[in-house]
Amino acid sequence: VKVVLAESVIDWAALLNVLWASLLGGVGVTAVFSLALMGATRAVDLRRDGRVAAATAYAVLTAVAGATVVAALVFGVLVMTAKD
Amino acid sequence: MENDLILAIVVATALAFDFTNGFHDTANVVATSISTRAMAPKVAVGYAAILNFVGAFLSLAVAATIAKGIVDADLINNQVVFGGLIGAISWNLITWYFGLPSSSSHALIGGVVGSAFVAKGPDAVFGEGLLGKVVVPAVVAPTLAFLVAGIAILVIYRMIGRLRPGSVTRGFKVGQVMSGGMLALAHGTNDAQKTMGVITLALITNGNLRPDDPTPFWVVVSAATAIALGTYMGGWRIIKTMGSRIIKMDTAQGFAAQGSGAAVILASTHVGFPLSTTHTISGGVMGAGAAKRISAVRWGVAGNIVLAWILTLPAAALIGGATYGVTRLFGTGAAGPMIVSVLIIAAIAAAFVRRVQHGSPITAAE
Repeated sequence: VKVVLAESVIDWAALLNVLWASLLGGVGVTAVFSLALMGATRAVDLRRDGRVAAATAYAVLTAVAGATVVAALVFGVLVMTAKD
Repeated sequence: MENDLILAIVVATALAFDFTNGFHDTANVVATSISTRAMAPKVAVGYAAILNFVGAFLSLAVAATIAKGIVDADLINNQVVFGGLIGAISWNLITWYFGLPSSSSHALIGGVVGSAFVAKGPDAVFGEGLLGKVVVPAVVAPTLAFLVAGIAILVIYRMIGRLRPGSVTRGFKVGQVMSGGMLALAHGTNDAQKTMGVITLALITNGNLRPDDPTPFWVVVSAATAIALGTYMGGWRIIKTMGSRIIKMDTAQGFAAQGSGAAVILASTHVGFPLSTTHTISGGVMGAGAAKRISAVRWGVAGNIVLAWILTLPAAALIGGATYGVTRLFGTGAAGPMIVSVLIIAAIAAAFVRRVQHGSPITAAE
């Protein structure tokens, strides 16, 4: 009886989707933002030390990670506008 | 004429609820940014207010129902809605006074449940709907945000642990401004729509709109304005609780809490499993603190917050039911809602005068 009640009350499929999407979005975006931050900091330090190639690589990493974060923000706004 | 008077009272009360919703929930958006000094307090609430206003226009898929699937929609009339709104407003003000973040949406549902219960008896309330749409999400939201923010902060610390603190702090402050902006937009989109739904339903009930008519533009603008003004006023007591009384956070924790909270809310919106912004952000703040050190979280404060969440539905229901009962003492006309409204306005004015005389005990500057 408890199982039947739980199935009728809780939308398990939606709940599972919320779980994985939250973990992916929450941990993923914060990690990518941190990656951008790390890349920017390292790029500045390496450029100051005269290691241009490594600094450029970190700058590219920062740009890609930054673009990913911006894309995630745009996706977030799209989710809001598509709400029904 | 009398029905129009009730309609006007319900619309004004719905906008007052919207104002308290913004006022009460400002903390969700700005508390962590203010406590880590990512933004100055007044700048933060102004920023949140503008984005709340904009968010209200992002989606206009307003369902002309309140507590859909929780109370029998056929039994809802404007007096029931009025009782529900008073229950929600009262609970918002009580929790604000004690500096406790609680869900305005759950307060509205509780108020309507209590009002409908008194109006039509137990058959008006669907237990399964209450469990599936209120109780289960109230457990899922903070737990999930706690987990996501906890993992996120551990990942962040691992990635930035050896970097210069100055640039990291500046970077996460920028991240907090962005994640706070997303939260403010999401809050405006989700919560202003509830008021739009209430007003739209009142207009339909009164015969001013047909059920398939679009939401009038004045309803959208007034709901957006009320929630933005409430947000700009800033519920500083709750901001203080969320920003510094649960944990003393650094910028990385603030970003993890806000970023994870925004992700959870948007994921739930996308999937159609709505979760409370307040429950989510509170869970995120606790998770970001506990993952660093369990004892970093002031569990006594966290316990009081959870107690407020548990009490939200029954307390708002009690007040909503009592309000409906009082209004019905004066019949089915406008007299009851008018008398209750005058009494509440007098009580708020008295509280305001008392506050002016004694000064504000907790302000943004503290």
